This record gives sequence, structure tokens and C-alpha cells, in this order.
Amino acid sequence: MKKRKWSILAMMAAIMMLMLAACNSSTTNNNASTGNNNNGGGGGGETGTVNIGYSGPLSGPAAYYGERTLNGVKMAAEEINNSGGFEVNGKTYKLNIVSLDDKYLPNETAANAKRLVQEHQTPIIFTPHSGGVMALQVFNQTDNFIIAAYTSEPKITQTGNKLTVRIPPRYDGYIPTFTDYAMKRFGKKLAALPTATQYGKDWTEKLLPYWEKQGGEVVYKSSIDFTKDTDFFTIVTNALKEKPDVLFIGGPSEPTAKVAKQARELGFKGGFIIMDQAKLDEMQRTIGSYEILEGSIGVMPLIHSDQPGAPEFAEKYRTKFNAEASSESGYNYLALYAFVEAMKAAGTVDDPMAIREHLNEGLKNIPKEKQVYVVPSVGDDGGFESEIVVAAVENGKVVPIELIDK
Amino acid sequence: MELFIQQLLNGLTVGSVYSLVALGLTLVYGILHIPNFAHGALYMMGGYVTLTAMTKAGLPYGLAVVVSMAAVGMLGVLMERLVFYPLRDAPPLHDKIAAIGILLFLEAFAQFVWGADYQTMPTPYGDVVSIFGLTLTVQRILIIASAVIIMILLYLFLKKTFIGASIIAMAQNREGANLVGINTNKVAMLTFFLSGSLAALAASLASPINLVFPGMGHLVILKAFVIIILGGMGSIPGAIVGGYILGFSESLGATYVSNDYKDIIAFAILVIILTVKPNGLFAKEGR
Repeated sequence: MKKRKWSILAMMAAIMMLMLAACNSSTTNNNASTGNNNNGGGGGGETGTVNIGYSGPLSGPAAYYGERTLNGVKMAAEEINNSGGFEVNGKTYKLNIVSLDDKYLPNETAANAKRLVQEHQTPIIFTPHSGGVMALQVFNQTDNFIIAAYTSEPKITQTGNKLTVRIPPRYDGYIPTFTDYAMKRFGKKLAALPTATQYGKDWTEKLLPYWEKQGGEVVYKSSIDFTKDTDFFTIVTNALKEKPDVLFIGGPSEPTAKVAKQARELGFKGGFIIMDQAKLDEMQRTIGSYEILEGSIGVMPLIHSDQPGAPEFAEKYRTKFNAEASSESGYNYLALYAFVEAMKAAGTVDDPMAIREHLNEGLKNIPKEKQVYVVPSVGDDGGFESEIVVAAVENGKVVPIELIDK
Repeated sequence: MELFIQQLLNGLTVGSVYSLVALGLTLVYGILHIPNFAHGALYMMGGYVTLTAMTKAGLPYGLAVVVSMAAVGMLGVLMERLVFYPLRDAPPLHDKIAAIGILLFLEAFAQFVWGADYQTMPTPYGDVVSIFGLTLTVQRILIIASAVIIMILLYLFLKKTFIGASIIAMAQNREGANLVGINTNKVAMLTFFLSGSLAALAASLASPINLVFPGMGHLVILKAFVIIILGGMGSIPGAIVGGYILGFSESLGATYVSNDYKDIIAFAILVIILTVKPNGLFAKEGR
């Protein structure tokens, strides 16, 4: 009997490992039907194909997030192909998105990238998580491909990697405005309950010192593991007993919304600072109304945005995927347009260095109606220098908030 | 004091969910000695079936839960017939591998059918109830009350009905049960049905306070295994008591020790209990 118990414990350990690794087969998914990897050479007239790589979570808990980032890339590619492709040096090219599943695991991202470069000669690989980006940065300069990084982690552009492009704004840009707004409207006591991921920790480590520097007080600090907790009442009860004026929450939109809702159920009357991973509109759809989120400050939801290309993009996305667009898809959509324009400007589709060097031109040449976000330039470090758009919930409505300079 | 009672209530809520999940797991283990790793997937299917019955068929919450219990119960039976029954003479390892296979299959199936996104289960019982400074929602009271009622019903069923007694008989001695004329096939199917139904009930009760998504089974399954080891493999009172021990240790541990260490506290309790009673709290004697 005793033996059996230990063997079962051992089995459980094995199971956990299996769960982590999930099923280890990658799925290749070629969207366009064209099979010829006619990447290089000149020769006018005929149509060539440029393969664009994507490696992100397409199965497992983060699959939904992965799908949304991929949708943006796919949508841009489809539009470009449907309008007859694009012309570089007198030759017309079409785009082919090759997507691989990495289950959110950096080691898988690296393996996928090797495969993408060797099998499909992809000059650009999109990846939507900081861990994957860091794994790729180890070899992307030697293997010669651009990482199109969808992550707001500032670290990835501080390593001096010449072929990394960070698509969304750095998250530390939000902190002064968030702090200022929440402190003025609600008060100086903050309780932090972000998601228990590396990203959540990094955010917290930036926000809390700033909050204290502005004269605020951090009364409670912990984190919520959304992969393990069935119920958030316990932790929220503990946070609220310190009588905070503001709660800092974050993680995927839907569970974050549940945290906000449970805080209100427990009688919390203050405001929320919402990490950029969660989006106000998605949270509202989960819990039914903006009333619960009154006083929240977060990233401007794409569907409420007044940027030039945003309304049209939101509409197209709704028809195509029968879902609301989010910034994940919007930014990746924009990025592919920028890369295509950069290829045109550089006069090459297979020299990543030249493409990267012409990215500033590329950004400028994006047609106005495709500018879901306005990105005037890309920094030397590879970060898109976009205007941050912040919004808050006031009287049940999402209103834009002026940025404060710091 | 108020905080203490509030946290007791919070612990009671999660403990109820854990107990229901662990009960199904322990029933199957008791009869067939299979650690059913796919039990978390049954929990997840329960959440989805209830949600679909509510949103697509427009059934009221209560009815949707019953439909879901029946459907996932049948899924359990199907699992037994198609997978575990043909493996009855195979080495025990094969059952375990098969269970993992079912787990992976069901998760991929759910993602294929319902998509990978988080879905919200609406509940008619979302109102907040405050008594003496304590806060509960009606849904939480419902969780606690239905868990207790189901546990009592299950107990009565097992102890007072003939068919229930045959489950116990088979758990105690499979050959003996066979010799006295108990149809072990039927009992195995019935056990899987009960196990699936309990998982579906737990998921349907817990989903309105969390979300429905393909990975939701992971939230409870590891804890359910801890519970049945702690309570004694195959023991029904063990699963119930173990569930509440884990629920309370999480909520009180998070309050009075540290939220970051609450899982460690739960596992420390497991180690202590196993040191004192190596077979778990309610292990059957004489085996």
C-alpha cells in the first residue's frame, strides 16, 4: 500500500512534467497555397513569395492570446496579397505566413525559429512573448533574421541586438500617468495584486518604487497565480483589510476582470490601475458593465481608439473573426505593413539588415488608413516610438487621459 | 475576528469545490485502482457543457447543471467502456498512460470545439450578501450548500441502498463482490458515471466565480490528488475532510502566514499527515 502511494506521487510528478510539455508536436500551418520559396533573385515579371515566420502560443492556456497576435499578422498579409502583392525592384511579391506553435515556451520558440529560417528562409519572425524574444536574441544576428517582438518588456531593446524590433510601447511609459491619475482621484494607499508571471513581477518592480516616490504608500503586495487559483476572494480579502485606495491588478483580461469584480463584491470603492496586458473593453465584456470598473486606468482599448486606422480595422476584424479587435492584433497588423514598406524602401526582401535600416522609412510610408496606431519612428534600439494612449473609466464610459511627462 | 470568519468562509467555498472533485477521483480509485488523471478534463468538460446548455440551448442555470452532470457522467461511462475496460487485464501502468491520453485528447477537443478563449458563465445568483460584516455572494452560499447536500446524498446512497452497497463491496474486494453475484461491469460504469457527474457539478458551481477555459481542470486536479492522498486513497470521508483541510489551509495560510507560501503550507500539511498516518487520514484497515 505504501509503495503504491509513492509510485502514484511519482506518477503525479511525471504528469506535471507532461502537462508542462503538453503534447510536444508542433503544428505547421502554411496559410497561402504557394509552395515555392522563391525568395531571392531578380528576374522581373513573375511573382515571388516572401515567407514571414510566426512562433507563439497556439495551444495551451495562452492560446487565445497567441491566436489574436497571429490574426493581426494574417490579416495584414491577406490584405496585401488581395491587393496584388507588393513590388520590390520591379518584381511583385506575395506574403506567406508560416506559423508554428511554441506553447509559450522559450526553448520551443528557439527551435521553431531555427526551423523557420532553415526550411522557409523567413527574414522576419514574429513572436509575442518576452521569453521567446530573449531566446531568439541569442542567435538571430548570426542566423540573420529580424525578431518582430510583440512585448512591452523594456529589457529586450536594451541588449544592443541590432535585429530586434519591439512593436508595442514599453510598459514603463504608462507608469507616471497611471500613478498620477489614481493618486489624485482616489488616494495614496496602493495594494498590488498583479499576475504571478515574470512580466507581472517586472511591472510591479517598476510601479511600486515610483508610487512611493510620489508620496504614496504600498499597503499590501502579493501576486495572483491565474493558473492555480480557483477563487480570488481569499487574497482580495487580505488586500482589502489594509484599506487601500487603489488596487494594482493585471494579467489576462478575463481573470483580471474577475479579480476586479470580486474586489467590488467585497466592498472595495477605490480605483484600479490595470497592467497593460489586460484591456478595459475585454474586462467589461467578461463582467458585463463598466460600472464595476469605475475609476480604472489602463491602456486605451482599440475599439474606442480614435487613431486614423483604428475604426476601419476594428470593423474588418469583427467581420473576419467574429470577435472584437484588440491591441495585440492591431499592433501586429501595423508591424507587418511597416516591414513590407521597409522592404520596398530597402529594395530587398531577404536582407534583414537592410530591411531594419529602412524601417523608419517603412513606418512613414504606411498608408494612413492602415495606421491602427500612429508610430512616427523606430528608435536606434529597435523600439517603435509610438504615442501611448491611455484611458480611464469615468461615469461608466471609457475616456482618453492626457499623458503626463516624466 | 471578522477577518478570521471571512477567511473561514472563503476556505469553505474553495474546500467544497475541492471536495467534490476529490470525491469523484477517490470513488474511481477505490473501485478500479486507477488514478484517473483525466478527471480534471471531466471537470473542464462539465464547465463547457453547462455553459453551452445555458447559452446555446437557453436552459436556466439549474437545469443546465443537471444536463451537464448527466452528459459528463455519460462521458465517464464512455471512458470506462472504451478505454479502461479493455485495459482491465493490462499492467497498471497502461491505465495511467491511457488516463493521460484522455486528458490530452479532451483538452485539445475542447479547444477545437469551443476555442481557446476564456468564457464567462452567467449566474442568476450573483447578488452580494452581507451579514455581520461578512461578505458572501449567493453563488458562494450555493456552492457550500450544494456540496454538503450532495455529500449527504452520496453517503446515504452508498450506505443505505443496495446498489450503493455493491460499490462499497467492490471497493473492498473485487473478487469477493464478483463471487456474491455483483455485476462488476455495471458497478464500474456506475462509479464512472458518479465520478463524472460530481466533476461536472463542481465545475458548474465554481465557474461563475472563475471562468471557463480549456485549461481550467489544472486548477483543481493536482489539488484533488493531494486531497485523496492526504485523506487516504479510495476513502470517501477522506476526500471530504481532505478537501476542507486544503481549502482552510489555503485561505488561513494566505492570511496569517503569507499568500506567496500558501501552496507550500498545503504541501507541508500533506507531509506531516503522511508522516503520522502514512496511509492517509482515513485509509482502510486490513489491506
